[in-house]
Amino acid sequence: MRNPFRLAILFLSLISLAGCGKGEPVVKIGFVAPLTGDQAAHGTDMLRGAQLAIEQARQAGEILPGYKVELSELDDSRSPAQAVAAAKRLAADADVLAVVGHLNSSCTKPASAIYYEARLLHLCPVSSNPEISRQGFDTFYRICPTDDLQGPAGARFAFQKLGAKKIFVLDDMTTYGRGLANEFLAAAKGLGVEILGHEGITQGEKDFTPVLTKIKGLNPDLIYFAGMFPEAALLLKQKQNLGLQGKFLGGDGLFEPALIELATPEASEGMYLTTLGGDIRNLPTAQQFVREFETRYGKLGAYSWYAYEATRIALEAVRRAGRKDRAAVLAAMKGMGSYSGILGVHAFDSKGDTSLRTIGVYTIQQGKFQFVEATEG
Amino acid sequence: MILLQQILNGLTIGAVYALIALGYTMVYGILQMINFAHGEVFMIGAYVGMTVLLMAGPGSGGVLWLTAAMAAAAVACCLLGLMMERVAYRPLRAAPKLSVLITAIGLSFFLQNAVMLGYGAQDRYVPETLSVRHWGGAGGAVVTPMQGVIFAVSFLLMLGLQGMVYGTKLGRSMRAVAQDPLAARLMGIPVDRVIATTFAIGSALAGVGGVLFGVHYSTINFHDGYLTGLKAFTAAVLGGIGNLPGAMLGGLLLGLMEGLGAGYVSAQWKNVVAFAVLILVLLFRPHGLLGERLAERA
Amino acid sequence: MMKKGALLLLLLALPLVDSNSYHTEILSTAALYALLALGLNIIVGYAGLLHLGYAAFFAVGAYSYALLNLHFGWPFWAGLPAAGLIAGLAAVLLGLPAIRVRGDYLAIVTLGFGEIVRVVVTNLDQWTGGPNGLMGIAHPAFGPVRFGVEARPYYWLLVLLAAATAWACVRLRRSRIGLAWVAVREDELAAGCLGVDALRMKLLALSLGGWVAGLAGCVFAAKQGTVTPDTFDFIQSVMILAMVILGGLGSAAGAVCGAVLLSVAPELLREFSTYRMLLFGLVMIGLMRVRPQGLFGSR
Repeated sequence: MRNPFRLAILFLSLISLAGCGKGEPVVKIGFVAPLTGDQAAHGTDMLRGAQLAIEQARQAGEILPGYKVELSELDDSRSPAQAVAAAKRLAADADVLAVVGHLNSSCTKPASAIYYEARLLHLCPVSSNPEISRQGFDTFYRICPTDDLQGPAGARFAFQKLGAKKIFVLDDMTTYGRGLANEFLAAAKGLGVEILGHEGITQGEKDFTPVLTKIKGLNPDLIYFAGMFPEAALLLKQKQNLGLQGKFLGGDGLFEPALIELATPEASEGMYLTTLGGDIRNLPTAQQFVREFETRYGKLGAYSWYAYEATRIALEAVRRAGRKDRAAVLAAMKGMGSYSGILGVHAFDSKGDTSLRTIGVYTIQQGKFQFVEATEG
Repeated sequence: MILLQQILNGLTIGAVYALIALGYTMVYGILQMINFAHGEVFMIGAYVGMTVLLMAGPGSGGVLWLTAAMAAAAVACCLLGLMMERVAYRPLRAAPKLSVLITAIGLSFFLQNAVMLGYGAQDRYVPETLSVRHWGGAGGAVVTPMQGVIFAVSFLLMLGLQGMVYGTKLGRSMRAVAQDPLAARLMGIPVDRVIATTFAIGSALAGVGGVLFGVHYSTINFHDGYLTGLKAFTAAVLGGIGNLPGAMLGGLLLGLMEGLGAGYVSAQWKNVVAFAVLILVLLFRPHGLLGERLAERA
Repeated sequence: MMKKGALLLLLLALPLVDSNSYHTEILSTAALYALLALGLNIIVGYAGLLHLGYAAFFAVGAYSYALLNLHFGWPFWAGLPAAGLIAGLAAVLLGLPAIRVRGDYLAIVTLGFGEIVRVVVTNLDQWTGGPNGLMGIAHPAFGPVRFGVEARPYYWLLVLLAAATAWACVRLRRSRIGLAWVAVREDELAAGCLGVDALRMKLLALSLGGWVAGLAGCVFAAKQGTVTPDTFDFIQSVMILAMVILGGLGSAAGAVCGAVLLSVAPELLREFSTYRMLLFGLVMIGLMRVRPQGLFGSR
């Protein structure tokens, strides 16, 4: 081999040159969600919401005079390690003035620390674990209700509306799943429900028949699952195969049309889930969004409007900042106090959480999601 | 009731492991090589099966389409196995073990990614072909028709394979090559052809296993081959690598151990069961349950 | 010697010339993998032990520092050698049963151990945080140098560690230990007849390889601030192995080059990220056909 050291030097210089110089001045809104992997359906849905927001902003005029606004989308595949890597990449990119993301609480939580270190505004669309805003990061803002509202709402619905007195709880051991399950448990116990058991399942696992068989022997009125739709689909299917009677209630991670397809409409018939907000179609402020989104993309998923809202808030903060400077964007966000968007009026508290506290309940009937009710948490 | 149900569940997945394990054990018997990409053959079988069943349209009726899916998967995987052997493994027949292993791993990644590009990274739904209603069994345990099919098909295939290996000329050639390739060649056995056939048969079996797996769990993912493949390899080792009845026994046993472990100890540690079994067997009884003690090949 | 010193200075000076912190991040990753590849090279290249579970020791190092820091308040500079020692110990403990089996089986056993470590870490969620991992791990403190806020200090640390490790590897290879490893690798029986304690040599290789992985894990944990089990999967082990093989088994320079190439390439080819594993697989297959001894190898 010819002198390897010279080769190394050449190679390293090439790397240095690789990133040099692009054309137009640009500001970016970072976006991270699972764009590949088993939860890609959610992530793609969110991406579309974000893209719509950027498109509309561009059409309405310049957000920041002299700069083109772009979305810088990265994939975290619901993996915390990838989320941290993506966060670092966005933090290192000087064009990025704000970040919208992630989907999973187990990704958002460590990433929020990176954004805090980089003094980068971080808007979270749907990660509902309450711990994230308790970390004391002034860069963190969230536009959805948290699980300390969702869990008890689910417990109340199970006990009062479904008459469940014996419940078995399952979670997927993620930050979100474990957290939501614990909130549900605490509230359910307070209502006098008998908890038959609480077990964890592993994400990515396929065969839940052992634990479902065990549950069948305990004969609960209801199974509560705090996790995401791929595992929920398998649970519903295998529950049906085993002839496990008893109702099924889940959290917002199940709110995805792919659930019905993966579980089959028969197996998912009559199951319930809680969501982070009311029926989007009934919100007068959201009508225009629903129309535009459906015209462009066809199907409205579960999280697109959150990503849309979060991106719009990010753009507003950039606009108010008036210059390409992260500190200014952050200050503008702080100064905003409240924001009136398609979901309603967000009055952000000192932790960065929104004042919106609506928790919805849906069921599946004849292969479609049906809105049941909404409560104020 | 619960115990019986757990046993039935365990044996179901065990039968699938057995089908895949047969491929591992046959290839190892002949080439002393662990075909790391065998798990991907299984996965591709599942995808082929899903594609066929999706063509059946709504209702995806019945046993006929299921048989078509299995046949299609068997053929496709058979061809895949032949291609793998010809393109990737045959040129490396004389190469050191490391090269072959790395090639196999590379092949495994390539196939996984190819399927991901073709079918997407998210879980894919496999249509149900049989009625969902289950048959009540003894004291409340239930069996689905699909489980019945899995047991029946696996049993028939294993029986067929056993018959082929011990009753036909091809089978005799396979056993000869496994015992001593050079002597076999000297006796006029077309060694290359026999090896290719071994790959073909093993892959076809894995393909059928894939279809059964896919319909049973009704969702598949391009990543399924890796973990299931490793477990099936464990089953082959458990039964005695190179030993056909051993692979079947190993598969059923492993499925049972996993199911009972998950049901009675903890579901989270299920995968550790397979790996722990693998390591313990390799350490303390490397020739497995039914294998013969072999001297180290020089 | 002079040439190598000059190269080292050049590498250290790079981020002063190119202040783009994204580039520095990429180079830090390359340096981290160079360190890992050097460690694995001791096990696979020098001692000839086919190891498919190296990521487990990387994990042990990372989690060791994370736990020592979060629960016992250990600072980084104390955690670094501790992580190395714990990982080295783990390598020996896991290796003891493994090295009794040969060839392919050794590879599978090490793979099995790698997976077991990952599952154990994922399931012991009271201590390890489970699939969500641990966060809030402290950066090193070194006078006025601000680790974490700036990208460069980690780069310098990793380059220095990698350079030191490379130097130690080369020295080892030329020593009696290195010769013993070659003997064991080429023909264990003959080596035994000549008085080489194969078991001891293999365990030594494992412990050194584990030590290096532990150091890498500690720096990684501090740099990311978070450790999660999904980083340390089989794909990670194979990546590092591929780097060693691409560079050429038994060559320290090769390990470094392989690491740099395979960690920088995905960044440069980010548009092709969906094809990443496809290309990677093809590269591995092609490499074994065309140049199985790698870039710098001699076999």
